[in-house]
Amino acid sequence: MARFAMAQEKIYALRREIARIEGRQPERFAAPTENGGETVLRHDGRAEGLHVPTFTETGTPHFDAALGGGLQQAALTEIVGRESRDGGIVSGFALALAAMASRNGRDEEQRPRPVLWVGMADMLLETGFPYAPGVEQFFDLAPDRLLMTCARRLEDALWVAEEAAQSGGLSAVFLEIRGNPARLDLTATRRLHHRAREAGRPVFLIRHSAEPEPTAAPTRLVISPAPSSPRETLAGALSRSIGPPAFSVALARSRIGRNENFLLEWNPHDFTFRERVSIRDRPVQENARTSGPQDPRGLVPASSVRSGSAAQAWGGLAPQRRKRRAG
Amino acid sequence: MALDESAESLGLRPGTGIADARAMHPQIEILEADPDADRRLLESLADWCDRFTPLVGLDGRDGLFLDISGCAHLFGGEDAMLDEIVHRLSGQGFDVRAGLASTPGVAWAAARYFEGSNRNVPAGAEEERLSPLPLSALRIDGKTRTNLESVGLRHVGALLCAPRAPLSRRFGRMLLTQLDQALGTVEEVTSPRLPVAPLSVERRLAESIGTIEGIEQLILLLARSLKDDLERRGEGARRLQLSLFRVDGVVRRIPVGTARPMRDPQAIARLFHERLTALENSLDPGYGFDLLRLSVIVARPFSTSQADFSGQSAREEEGLSLLTDRIRARLGSSAILSPALAESHVPERRARFRPLCDDVPGKPAKTVPSHGAPPTSPRPIRLLEKPEPVEASAEVPEGPPLSFRWRRALYRVARAEGPERIASEWWLEDTPAPERDYFRIEDVEGRRYWLYREGRYGDATAPRWFLHGIFP
Repeated sequence: MARFAMAQEKIYALRREIARIEGRQPERFAAPTENGGETVLRHDGRAEGLHVPTFTETGTPHFDAALGGGLQQAALTEIVGRESRDGGIVSGFALALAAMASRNGRDEEQRPRPVLWVGMADMLLETGFPYAPGVEQFFDLAPDRLLMTCARRLEDALWVAEEAAQSGGLSAVFLEIRGNPARLDLTATRRLHHRAREAGRPVFLIRHSAEPEPTAAPTRLVISPAPSSPRETLAGALSRSIGPPAFSVALARSRIGRNENFLLEWNPHDFTFRERVSIRDRPVQENARTSGPQDPRGLVPASSVRSGSAAQAWGGLAPQRRKRRAG
Repeated sequence: MALDESAESLGLRPGTGIADARAMHPQIEILEADPDADRRLLESLADWCDRFTPLVGLDGRDGLFLDISGCAHLFGGEDAMLDEIVHRLSGQGFDVRAGLASTPGVAWAAARYFEGSNRNVPAGAEEERLSPLPLSALRIDGKTRTNLESVGLRHVGALLCAPRAPLSRRFGRMLLTQLDQALGTVEEVTSPRLPVAPLSVERRLAESIGTIEGIEQLILLLARSLKDDLERRGEGARRLQLSLFRVDGVVRRIPVGTARPMRDPQAIARLFHERLTALENSLDPGYGFDLLRLSVIVARPFSTSQADFSGQSAREEEGLSLLTDRIRARLGSSAILSPALAESHVPERRARFRPLCDDVPGKPAKTVPSHGAPPTSPRPIRLLEKPEPVEASAEVPEGPPLSFRWRRALYRVARAEGPERIASEWWLEDTPAPERDYFRIEDVEGRRYWLYREGRYGDATAPRWFLHGIFP
């Protein structure tokens, strides 16, 4: 019995050590408390006295809880798209996370820091360069804050991303690559994650047409397209119109080990996500609406049946939220 | 026409015709003159001579002027320096003659007419040493020389004794200017080939080095000694250049630019580290480098402004400019791009990525201030370099497509918004492009794209559809 206890002790010590090396708290399975802890930035060994919140709340309690308290600020976050034609959705989701993180991490009077987008030349030709006016419209990222590097070789892209991750002058770094290159292995991602953690800034690894594989990123999100909800007007939903961007998010890896699917909608006005309704309990009418016969011109006002279904979808969510707040 | 030593020993003279020379000595080899190659050789030689003085000027087709004012003591005196130059150049296989004097004119003559210890003409002895020489020791053109000789002035001494006014009247002012310059009464300036760096430090090595690590260590040492000078001047370097002198005479120059004045040795060394890493394969150290020089090409006042108490924002900006410097040093000066906005309705003209200008990042190139209201209709977040043609079928003319085929995949359109008509900018284009009707569409799975139709149904040519951008 004593030997067993000794072995247990040793295992716990080792776990603590591993957790220390990986920079996370050991043995945590529940979401952290209210403010989620604070990080102290150090420069040349001196504490700056600057407190950056560790987690960015995404605006949806359900999603935050699954992430373990929100999006980790100082970490590598992997955002995966299965097909290269989903490029817009995948990069849009990364930009949305960065927009939230950069709003969260700074004081009001401070000049917002730029972001660096590191792309591979072939990828940029395929999915196009980020388009500054659109990025500003959707994610409040002014054109003079958007810096870009177009690398020809993956080594160069990785080098730039690592250098940028450890520099304190950026609010976020994006590394965009395609597929599952051998160079981007566990070691390379661990280096990226480590530097992001040291600098206290998020690094987003965007992978198009990739298969999920083991990396050092504590969070991996697989993004796939989701039909947007129609634009809401005072007279009800506008049929055949395209509302705010919607994403179908599969949480493939999280710090607290919860794998779930979410249907998130980005609000480009107050820069938060909201959960439409999770895919599991999406009403059947929702599917029928998108695949049913369509009016080609899109001029017919929204029928009462459709707006009813939308209200139902939102209504279904409300009690769920209330319940969580009570508990 | 020129002859090498073995040809001269056969008795050939410049001016002999090729046919005659061949007839006399059928074994001779004849090479066509290549003035460009000669020039390049002379320039590379001038580069190499940079190791002695930064002021190296070309002289005609076959000469170099080295202004060694203040440099001779580095080589153990003037004579020792002269010997070293001649010795090193002969070692490289050049037939070299050198002269040293306090004026370029006398040095020119000394190189051509004096041997041994006479080559160094001390200051004040110019007239005395120059007098017995023939007129060709002065850099005057052949016609003037023939004219002078025809009136009996065969030596420089005779010319010096002759009254100046008639000489000037008969042979032009240039002759007297040349004479005065040779004697040092009129200052003559040789024009250096390369701009002279305001600051430079160098290190001569007894043992040549060839490894990148060794070079980097030396750069750090050089940058440290540069720092004091920069501090004294209150400046920082905006452009630096590392000159590597290879043992066999090849000179490699590696420039590096910085986004803000810089004097931190560590940062300078890191910049060169990136540059050298990028060059690794093309550096070619050969037998090694035996002289390294670090020069500040452009220096700017170094502002030491006080930031807020934590010093955080200043440090961030500094970190950012260091980052951009290093990326530029490694991947080229146009590695970092920033969108430049233009006043235009055409999407591809509205925002374009340009290399970030030499300024501090975050404040990129002047963008045209936008006057009108920003477009309220959504714009894509990614724009394809070139709009890609798609096969689309629309149910109603002028309406959105029902389905389209892009990159061999079929997309069924579930919803669409539009059209938004964007006309071409005829004031910028010679042949105005057809107007475009843009639609924002969403396919059944939820992908959102920006398509446009060029032309109209019912026109002579069928309208064409393009996919231009991608929405989140």
